[in-house]
Amino acid sequence: MPHVVLAYIDPGSGSLMIQVLVASIIAIPVIFRSRLAQLTSALRRRKDTPDPDDVAESE
Amino acid sequence: MTSPSPNRPASATTGQAVERDPGSFRDPGGFVFRRDGVLYREIGESAFPDWEAFVASGLAARLIGQGRLIPYEDAPLSMAATADARAVVRPEALEFVSYPFEWTFGELKDAALLTLDVQLEALDAGWTLRDASAYNVQFRHGRPVMIDSLSFEPLEDGAPWVAYRQYCEHFLAPLALMARRDIRLGRLLRADPDGIPLDLAARLLPWRSRLSLGLLSHIHLHAAAQGRHAKGGDQAATAQRARIDRGRLRALIANLRGTTDGLRWEPSGTEWAEYADNTSYTEPATVAKENLVGAFVREIEGPMVWDLGANTGRYSRIAADAGKRVLAFDIDGAAAERNYRLVRRDGRVDVLPLVLDLANPSPGIGWASRERRSLLERANADGILALALVHHLAISRNVPLPMIADLFASLAPRVIVEFVPKEDPMVRHLLATREDVFPGYTLEGFRAAFAERFTIDSERPIEDSPRVLFLLTRR
Repeated sequence: MPHVVLAYIDPGSGSLMIQVLVASIIAIPVIFRSRLAQLTSALRRRKDTPDPDDVAESE
Repeated sequence: MTSPSPNRPASATTGQAVERDPGSFRDPGGFVFRRDGVLYREIGESAFPDWEAFVASGLAARLIGQGRLIPYEDAPLSMAATADARAVVRPEALEFVSYPFEWTFGELKDAALLTLDVQLEALDAGWTLRDASAYNVQFRHGRPVMIDSLSFEPLEDGAPWVAYRQYCEHFLAPLALMARRDIRLGRLLRADPDGIPLDLAARLLPWRSRLSLGLLSHIHLHAAAQGRHAKGGDQAATAQRARIDRGRLRALIANLRGTTDGLRWEPSGTEWAEYADNTSYTEPATVAKENLVGAFVREIEGPMVWDLGANTGRYSRIAADAGKRVLAFDIDGAAAERNYRLVRRDGRVDVLPLVLDLANPSPGIGWASRERRSLLERANADGILALALVHHLAISRNVPLPMIADLFASLAPRVIVEFVPKEDPMVRHLLATREDVFPGYTLEGFRAAFAERFTIDSERPIEDSPRVLFLLTRR
C-alpha cells in the first residue's frame, strides 16, 4: 500500500472509507447521465436514418 | 544528518548562518530554511525522485505560469542546509506571511478553491496533492498561491486522496461554520493549528446543514466515520480496502469544490461594515484628511505600510496609490471582507486585507509556540497608519496611551496617527454609557505619552474637525 505509507500526514482510516463511499454515491448521477447520453445518441442515430413514414408525417 | 560528507562542498555545512524555518518540519521530504537571510527549500533523498518527475512533467511550470504555485529558481546544491539534500531551490520571497485565522471569509474560501483547483489540475496530469494544509497557501499580489512545491506526488491507480481529511479540517469545516453558524467561528483556526476537528464542526453546525448533500457527506458523515473507525478494528486493513478509481476521485474533488463554492456569507449587519460611510466627518474634513494622509505617507521611507483599523481600506488605497504595499488590518471580519472584495474587483495587487484585534494580536502557535509566528514577530512595516483608532484602544479597551505608543514603536519606525479628542461625536458616543475614567485622554496627554517613544515630525489639525493628525519618528 505505498500511497498510504508515503503519506506523511495521517489520512485517517475513517476519512479514507467515507471518501470511497461518498465518491461512489456522487458518481451515480455522473454514470447515469453518461449512460443516458449513450442511449439517447443511439436512439438519435436510429432516428437520423431515413424513414419514409417520418417524412410522410412531417409533411 | 548534519555531519559533513566528504563529497559535499564545505560551505554546505560550515560557515554561513543557516536558520531552519520553525514551521517547516512535518514533511520528512524537505524543508525551508534561510541562509544569510535568503529563503531556500531543500529537497531530501526521499522526496527527490517525485520532485524530479514533478518538474519534468511540466505540471510545476504550468501551475507557476497560472500563478497558482510560487515561482522558484534552482539553487546550487552547495547552498543546502544538510547532507541529505539532493536539490535546493530558491522560492520567490513573500512580502508577508499571513495565517488562515487572519484571513477574511473570502480569502479563506479563495485559498480553499485554489487548493482544489490545483488538485484537479494535478489529477488530470496524473499527480495528486499529498497535503491540503491552509498554511500551504499564502497571498501574493492580492491572490492566493500555493507555496509548498513539495506537496505533489504521482497519483497511484486506485489511491484515495490522503489529504481529504486535512482539506475538510483546514478549509471546509471553518468555512461552513463561518457561513452557516457564525462568522466569528473562523477564530477556531487560531485555537487549533491542525484545523477544526470534524466532530466539533458537526456539533456546532446547525441541524439543517445536513440538508446540504455536500456538508452531510464531507462533514457530518465524515465525522461519524472517523468516530467509528477510531474505535477499533484493523485500521490498516480498512485503509488497504479503500480504493477509488480516477473518475470517482475526480467527481469527489469536483463535489468538494461545488460544496465549498456554495458556501456564501454576506458582510452586513456587523459593527463596522457601514462605519466608513457613517463617521463624523464632513466632506471638507474628509478631503483634508485624505490629502494630509497622502502627504504624510510619502514621508515614509520603504515600501511596507500597515494600516491598523483600516476598515474597508479607504486610506490603505491612498497609501497604495502613493506607491506603498499595504496590509489593511481590521478587527471586523465584515469590513475586512468588504475590503477584500473591493481589492478583487479592482484587481489590486498592493493591498491585503486581514482580520486582527490589535488588543489581542495573533500569538505564536503550534510546536514550541514558534511553528506559526506571532504578529509582532512578523512586524515588517516601514510605517503604520493608525487613523480613527487610538480612541477605540484607549477608551473602548482601556489601554493607557503610553502602552499604545509602546506597541506602535514595536511595529514600525514611522507612525501616522490620528488623535480624536473627547469633544468629537465618535468619542462622545463611546463615553455615552460609561463613566469617564480617562482624565489623561487629552491632546496634551497624547503628545506627552507619544513623546516618550517618538519625535513629532508634524502635527496638523484636520480642517473642519476637532481631530489632529501626527507624523512621528521612533526615537
